[in-house]
Amino acid sequence: MTQYVIIGDGISGSSAAETLREKDPDAQITVITDEGEPLYNRILIKEHAKGKLPEAPISIHDEGWYEERDIDLSLNTHVTSVDTDAKVVHTHDSGDLEYDKLLVATGGTPTQLPVDNSDADGIHHFWTFEDARGIREHAEQSDTGVIVGAGLLGIDFAAVCGAQGIEANYLMRGDRWWRYALSADGAEIMHEGMRDVGVEPVFDSGVDHFETDDDGHVTAAVDPNDERYECDFAGVAIGLSFNTEFLRGAGLEEENGLIVDEFMQTNVDDVYAAGDLTRFYDVLLGEQAQNGSWGSAKEQGRIAAVNMAADDEAEQFEWVSSYSITHFDFPFLSFGHPTLGDDYAERKYSDTEWRRIAFKDGKIVGGVLIGDLSPQTAFKQLMREQRVVADQKEVLLEPSVDLDELAPTQEQ
Amino acid sequence: MHMATSELRGSSLKLTRIESVSADATVRHVDQLESETLDTFYTALEGNRPITTAEIGLNAGDIIVGPEYYRVDLM
Ligand SMILES: Cc1cc2nc3c(=O)[nH]c(=O)nc-3n(C[C@H](O)[C@H](O)[C@H](O)COP(=O)(O)OP(=O)(O)OC[C@H]3O[C@@H](n4cnc5c(N)ncnc54)[C@H](O)[C@@H]3O)c2cc1C
Repeated sequence: MTQYVIIGDGISGSSAAETLREKDPDAQITVITDEGEPLYNRILIKEHAKGKLPEAPISIHDEGWYEERDIDLSLNTHVTSVDTDAKVVHTHDSGDLEYDKLLVATGGTPTQLPVDNSDADGIHHFWTFEDARGIREHAEQSDTGVIVGAGLLGIDFAAVCGAQGIEANYLMRGDRWWRYALSADGAEIMHEGMRDVGVEPVFDSGVDHFETDDDGHVTAAVDPNDERYECDFAGVAIGLSFNTEFLRGAGLEEENGLIVDEFMQTNVDDVYAAGDLTRFYDVLLGEQAQNGSWGSAKEQGRIAAVNMAADDEAEQFEWVSSYSITHFDFPFLSFGHPTLGDDYAERKYSDTEWRRIAFKDGKIVGGVLIGDLSPQTAFKQLMREQRVVADQKEVLLEPSVDLDELAPTQEQ
Repeated sequence: MHMATSELRGSSLKLTRIESVSADATVRHVDQLESETLDTFYTALEGNRPITTAEIGLNAGDIIVGPEYYRVDLM
């Protein structure tokens, strides 16, 4: 009987456990998590923090789900190290566990700002349901806020401030939000969305240090230009540090993420990885890539499990990811790898509609759609087909994209 | 608060905008929808095209979190 151990009960670990049980009915499966609750919907916790969604619908599995599938679930269990020669997982205070095949699905932890007082009371990071509960409780009592981190997670803090009636300044390092993926035209639509909910974007700013009162509670953020922004609530989302410290000495190849191939195999026999923390071989992109999104993590968990159960390279990970922002009255969708590529096309259609497509070697590798998401299916199809289309930007920038208008594919 | 309803002609489903969610609801974020379902969801919101239960991959009573919250109702 094969013994599978999965470290992490986020969507990637949990989807792997489910798939393993389907593929290998007799196996012994253990899922270890250092959180105190089984899988919940991480992409909906922001709605709880906004005060819009009660707790119950955010839970995905209760402990009964694991019992029904004969999966051992270890809550509140922190893995401290892995011996990949002896094939043993060591935990903080729950003993050791032997494995035949191991899946590392431990995601990341938000990075703290390396500035004075960045751990003061009232300064929040956002990853767990517990974080969301704390953010909601504090946001309900707060009047003024500061947000740091001009990316996809920072904007969730802006939405929380907006929904909770906090007047906030969003301090950004460059001249716009998510400058790696958006030009000034696209970003301005997002800035207007922020202003509409009461959050003011502040450019060429950031945080030099935080000020606190005598009780150690944050009172202001001071930016590098010496501007002072009063706040009793602060949200910091400047990036993730991957949870791999327990793998020190285990021989796994790491390079800002755990390196895996398209089958989710690491360089060490019988050790797989899935989810946010992987740097996987992206077969559509033709190089190693990273992806922090729910759908991608779920699929990586499934693919890892299929290959673990098959003890073979049975199925490869081939996926076009999506990441939406749902906080404003216009929709926003980022797909694939919008910050990569060697060429791009973009157009603004109205004050709330904008599109950008990123190409690599003539093929679409990602993009951002604001306002009108209707071309997403066509663009994702072209990505999957790996079709060379960069020479036909006009067709791709038409308000309504008709793939029949593209010139037939040339023989390569 | 007004309830905006996107009527989907000739179909068996409609999306109804809602303002609050009960504790026993099944809630999904748009990023949990398959690409085609997402497309159908947004098309349905614009009221441009009829959809059927089989096509959309959603169940009556489901709540979808998009730019607003919407409940999937049988017509
Ligand atoms: C606020 C927020 C909003 C988001 N919004 C979206 C969105 O709109 N759309 C989207 O697609 N994605 C969104 N994401 C990203 C998405 O949630 C992640 O990409 C996805 O959940 C990653 O899943 P995972 O299984 O890889 O990792 P995680 O969900 O992080 O799970 C890893 C688990 O491993 C546990 N763990 C770590 N180290 C150890 C250890 N040593 N021992 C035991 N257990 C350990 C952790 O506690 C955690 O439970 C959002 C994320 C956040 C935080």
